[in-house]
Amino acid sequence: MNMRSFRTAAWLGWKIESNWTDPFLFAVYSVVKPLAGAAILVVMYSIITNGNFTDPLFPYIYLGNAFYMYVGAVMTGVSWAVIDDREHYRTLKYMYVAPIRIPLYLMGRAVARFLTGSFSVLITIVFGVLFLHVPIVLSEVNWLLFFVSLIMGVVLLALMGLTLAGVTLLLARHGDYLGDAVAGGLYLFSGAVFPLDVLPAWLRPLGYAMPITYWLELLRRSLVGSVAQAFPTLSSISNDQLLLILGGMIVLAAVIAVVTFRYCDKQARERGYIDRTTNY
Amino acid sequence: METAIRKNIGWRLFVQTILGRAYPRVVGMSREKSWLFFEIFLPMLSVSAYVFVYRALKAPEEYIGFVVVGGAMTAFWMNILWSMSSQLYWEKETGNLALYIMSPANLMGILLGMALGGMVSTAQRALGIILLGSLAFKVQYAVGDFWQLLLVFFLAMTALYGMGMMAASLFLLLSREAWHIANLAQEPIYLAAGFYFPIKSFNFWVAAAASIIPLTLGLDAMRQLVFPSGALLGFLTVRTEISILVGLSVVFIAAARIMLAKMESLAIREGRLTESRR
Amino acid sequence: MSIDYSIETEGLGRVYRLRENKKKKDQPKELIALSGVNLQVQRGELFGLLGPNGAGKTTLIKILTTLLAPSTGWAKVAGFDVHRETIKVRPLINMVSGGESSGYGLLTVRENLWMFSQFYGIQSAEAYRYIDELLAAFTLSDRANTKSADLSTGLRQKMNIIRGFMTHPEVLFLDEPTLGLDVGASRDVRAFVRRWINEDRRRTLLLTTHTMVEADELCDRVAIINRGRVLACDTPAALKHELQQEAIFNLDVSAMNGHDTAAFEQLPGVSKVLHTPLDGHSKLEFILAEESVLSAVVNALTVRDVTILNLTKREPTLEDVFVTLVGRSMAEEEKAGSNGNGH
Repeated sequence: MNMRSFRTAAWLGWKIESNWTDPFLFAVYSVVKPLAGAAILVVMYSIITNGNFTDPLFPYIYLGNAFYMYVGAVMTGVSWAVIDDREHYRTLKYMYVAPIRIPLYLMGRAVARFLTGSFSVLITIVFGVLFLHVPIVLSEVNWLLFFVSLIMGVVLLALMGLTLAGVTLLLARHGDYLGDAVAGGLYLFSGAVFPLDVLPAWLRPLGYAMPITYWLELLRRSLVGSVAQAFPTLSSISNDQLLLILGGMIVLAAVIAVVTFRYCDKQARERGYIDRTTNY
Repeated sequence: METAIRKNIGWRLFVQTILGRAYPRVVGMSREKSWLFFEIFLPMLSVSAYVFVYRALKAPEEYIGFVVVGGAMTAFWMNILWSMSSQLYWEKETGNLALYIMSPANLMGILLGMALGGMVSTAQRALGIILLGSLAFKVQYAVGDFWQLLLVFFLAMTALYGMGMMAASLFLLLSREAWHIANLAQEPIYLAAGFYFPIKSFNFWVAAAASIIPLTLGLDAMRQLVFPSGALLGFLTVRTEISILVGLSVVFIAAARIMLAKMESLAIREGRLTESRR
Repeated sequence: MSIDYSIETEGLGRVYRLRENKKKKDQPKELIALSGVNLQVQRGELFGLLGPNGAGKTTLIKILTTLLAPSTGWAKVAGFDVHRETIKVRPLINMVSGGESSGYGLLTVRENLWMFSQFYGIQSAEAYRYIDELLAAFTLSDRANTKSADLSTGLRQKMNIIRGFMTHPEVLFLDEPTLGLDVGASRDVRAFVRRWINEDRRRTLLLTTHTMVEADELCDRVAIINRGRVLACDTPAALKHELQQEAIFNLDVSAMNGHDTAAFEQLPGVSKVLHTPLDGHSKLEFILAEESVLSAVVNALTVRDVTILNLTKREPTLEDVFVTLVGRSMAEEEKAGSNGNGH
């Protein structure tokens, strides 16, 4: 029943995400959006360093930004399903009535976003390697570390998305995607586009407490080990230790997600929010 | 019961429409305040990240100021995209759009009402970023001509909202693509309009093409007017940019009027106003 | 003397292009939602449009309320062309659809209604006064300050109905307005609608429904529509009078033992037989040319070992009119429509 809920939700999520009447527009969207996001940083970097793409800071920024797209994509995928189903399709109440596990259903809905997000990440990285000298050499990539890290990161993001989904049950629909907004906020503390050392000393602990920091570090080390070594922020921590830290944080994220979602779910039911519409 | 009552028409009806549609936005925001966190606090953090990118690159301090001002202006672009243009998509889905079209209210008034109502959060977001960002990052300003600055801001907003209404007219015809297109229009506009860097960094023709977006020249002129070294990093002179913004305002508002009428007519012909192709 | 028509249509038609289904190449490419509709509704009339789901009622309403352009023909509302003079039509009309979810959940009932009044240029003081009057008339005053998201479906529909009347329209369109309302609330709405029309004969109301009782009780005239065409248009009494020549009998019988009702339709004087199988027994409805044919029917049933449990004669209804015109009941017609049969 659980796997069926997840699979059906994934199928539904894909049907919704791929419901474009114009495939050309979909293709444009899938390529232009991620590249434009990366281009902002590339231009910023290029202006200040006069286009010195060989400095290790460039691949640090570029790869961090590329993989950070997963944060917005997965978190939005899980949490936006609440708003979409509640306000737009008005089916959330039926999902609640059905004998399915809502958290699994919501995570299933995020699968499509994960897939489209993966495409965006891939496009961005390939572009970086081909045109911007991002030094990824396929034969030197630590593929095992890469895939393990990637999977752990996606699980982490799904759990964070679930926490946000729980909170979303109690919120009105405001403007844009909440997942993107949260991802934008966490951008500051994740070491995605600058080493944590750049942050003021009093803010750095927040960065160290952020699991995404370790996740991105692992991905960079697996793809371009030399770049990661150029920055001392986490250099004293080995790969195994990073994996252990990330694993522990995933467990913590799971506990937080379950507790938060249960609490918010109960509150939403008590207040009658499951089938309300709040569009204004 | 009475039957004959006075109903306003013309500009009075237009003003009533704007205020009527702004009302749910303002009241909705006051009744559910989570937007303060998601639409003001979090974006401030996001803008700060770009400041630290420049810090990591050891960029000159004026670039920090550029990010703060640019980050504040993203609020207005987001207001256009999500409170106005793609909001029509939600209105269509919920059935309100048909009721608006059927009424004697002008669709421009409805759109302006949405945007005006959204201004509550937009203005707070922009001000919050400017104030807190300036304090936190010790941004130094040197405002030369305040009235010129105000004029630039006003013209940029007029042209921007005109452009937004043009975009909204397209959303009358679209279904779910409307949402995707709004989503698509975020980063490319941030890039082209130079929200986080001076547009002069681009090749002249690229910058010129990007100037069709009112925020590009608006932001460039504002930076020239508020930062000591702004003029050095400006694309065109402030006077030239003001002239172009005047032209853009006129063109976009006129085009918005025409396009809204045309798109409405087309949507009525094709039966798109009340469809729900999700 | 020229007659003052509130609603006039001539040769009105609407064709929808269907989305191509690559898997079903033999599917039709277009749907004829309306065809050759000629209507004339006088000022002051409460006019009904009766038909099954998918008959074209909502399409007609959308055209008359300027939301949809006709493919053929023309339509005028309050004397103005709905396609060419939309700006002149809109201040004079309003529409309420059954099951709609208009307005904003975070606003109260009163606020939602006030907001819509602004789009019609009504000054706030007058708007609030009339809103309060209507809230009282629909027994919704105690929920005036409740957020509409917290209302039940029925109460939200009441709010929607008030929204329609609140703008003092000359022509009001109600598209299945009692959908979602309980029996009592539906009755209140019908009573209000009748009062509203009677108060001021400059007002016109077009009501669509698939409920016979509603059309029969309320409407001055009724047009029966099916598959985009108007089949008949007259007062309910006149429409039923056509059938009064015929006699309608309801029979409750034991199980049919496999006998087909088609055999009964072959009997001389039997116009139509409707069979509803139930648990262990059946309901048969006979429309006969005259009462005397009943004895032949009873004989035919007896010969087939079908026992008559109960027999009643009833007066013709608009449903019977529909059956006579279309050949099957509304329920059967809707089912046929959804199966894609019979088109």
